[in-house]
Amino acid sequence: MRKLLSSYEGIVGSAVLGQLRQLGEKLAGASIVHVNSTREGGGVAEILDWMVPLMNDAGLSASWEVIHGEPRFFEITKAFHNGLQGHTVPLTMKDWKIYEDVNEKNFERLRPALEEANFVVIHDPQPAGLLKLCDRRKGKWIWRAHIDISRPFRPVWKGLRPFVEKYDASIFSMAEFAQLLPHPQFLVPPSIDPLSEKNRELEPSEIEAVRTEFGLDPSRPLIVQVSRFDRFKDPVGVIAAYRLVRKVAPVQLVLAGGGATDDPEGKAVLEDVQEAAGNDPDIHVLLLPSGAHRTINALQRLADVIVQKSTREGFGLTVTEGMWKGKPVVGGDTGGIRLQVVNHHTGFLVNTPEGAAHRIRYFLHNRNRIDEMGSIAREVVRENFLLTRHLRDYLTLMLVMAKDPRERLLKV
Amino acid sequence: MKPFEVMDCALLTRMSGIPPAINLRELRDRLAVCGENVLFHHYCETTLRTTFDNPDYRNDFAVWAKLYLGDRVLAERLGILDPYSFPSMEELRAATLEVIDERLSELVMVPWARPGDEFFFMESTMVVFDTGARITNPNRLGPFIRKMTNSSVYYHFLEARRRTPDGKDDFSAWLGKCGEPYRPHADALSTIDYYFNSLGYLRREIARVLAYVKGASK
Repeated sequence: MRKLLSSYEGIVGSAVLGQLRQLGEKLAGASIVHVNSTREGGGVAEILDWMVPLMNDAGLSASWEVIHGEPRFFEITKAFHNGLQGHTVPLTMKDWKIYEDVNEKNFERLRPALEEANFVVIHDPQPAGLLKLCDRRKGKWIWRAHIDISRPFRPVWKGLRPFVEKYDASIFSMAEFAQLLPHPQFLVPPSIDPLSEKNRELEPSEIEAVRTEFGLDPSRPLIVQVSRFDRFKDPVGVIAAYRLVRKVAPVQLVLAGGGATDDPEGKAVLEDVQEAAGNDPDIHVLLLPSGAHRTINALQRLADVIVQKSTREGFGLTVTEGMWKGKPVVGGDTGGIRLQVVNHHTGFLVNTPEGAAHRIRYFLHNRNRIDEMGSIAREVVRENFLLTRHLRDYLTLMLVMAKDPRERLLKV
Repeated sequence: MKPFEVMDCALLTRMSGIPPAINLRELRDRLAVCGENVLFHHYCETTLRTTFDNPDYRNDFAVWAKLYLGDRVLAERLGILDPYSFPSMEELRAATLEVIDERLSELVMVPWARPGDEFFFMESTMVVFDTGARITNPNRLGPFIRKMTNSSVYYHFLEARRRTPDGKDDFSAWLGKCGEPYRPHADALSTIDYYFNSLGYLRREIARVLAYVKGASK
């Protein structure tokens, strides 16, 4: 179903939508082409899935193109992805040649759209090589980095930098994730869609069905962490925190994640988690299929306290999702969690299992604070981390790029 | 009387290009040479940025001093600086440097942050646009403000203080031109402690103050 701005009026209010329409009017008819590497699966595809129709609804002419490549190309770009996040990855000259060749082939297919567009937004490294090939481009080209590239594996960044530094601008989610580049670097945090399966309101019967399905006791408090089984998400640390709480309160723990089976590292972490959980019937380790959005949604709504005890994190959209459901979050003091979790207001930042246990106990003893902080958390998300703010940032960025990106005040 | 033209704005933040500071000395040295827009962003535009709107301190320097340098004394001294009370950004810069220099002289070691907790210098562009809405009756200003976006309130009530030659907010300036009956309204707006609150609070407070004066003058 085509998404429309008006669908969000009941959530963000007419003033916010009016602002988006007015910004859209200033850009009426401008063409914008988004390019990424997949139409399904992953955070970028999820963003473009709503952003393109909403940009069109705001009066622009937006389209979404996807580059194609052989499996080897995607292995190489997966290595880029890991290398940019600091992992040591082996890349050969031949790999870089394959990267350029695939970009060239895709460019021939996409040439008319890319040459004519007023704005081209290239998402992540996979299609970044397209700019170099587009000599007759008319519009502004922007590179959008969705990951933290602040501490990359140097050979990967050294190889990629010549492709991205020629862009007219780049976008990062947070200042902490950026690299110094010779063009304006804008900061646009990610967002969630409040009407998506992951975040929409659910019928109480559906939530209760999920409780029954996983054998959760409605009379006892529930702690939930949703994240893939990854060492940086510290699921074993969450179990340690649970055990500290369990000494004094009859809590239950759900660790829900997915996609670990085809990832050797994920599989090993899952085994560690299962071993740490042992035979405790109150620890529920749930390996969910990738499309289990409504189940995740229901689990977050069933939670008394949401935990995201990461030791390293990107933006942490599972925190945003939990906060949107009116839950306070006990989160790791790292990455984008810091931007969302504010001590004593929307949750607590912690550094250790002991710290997490302490804060969970605080909530269990002060149930009113769960509701108070949960309510603030929801408003923080409404104001800052819903897709309407994300769309506003993009519209603003296009207006700025069309004029002068270094001006302090632009009247349009 | 010219109607009040309701404007709105959207803020786009960007990296300033200044390397991040890892300790108080670096913060001081970079603050001494950064552009005025960087200073303005970290002192004044924090309310409009994507962030929790009720932090301990309104300016980023105080927040960083508290959270990442662990220096609460410095945080308190920086946190009380009201950027709108300085005639110019240069004077605000001088006051900020004075606070930091004084603190550096009191300490035997320069406070530092852990890697990853550096201070990132940012600036922004504000895109301003006409909403098309016009207010002709001064008595309608308060009710209208209740429905305004936070960014509109920011533009007219806070940003105006830097934009206009006399440093006045747009609401007071317009009410001042509406004749003697509306002078108390303009005067009442000057009693609002506007720097230390969120924009949502400020919007409600402006509307409340105007409603109160209107009621009192009946």
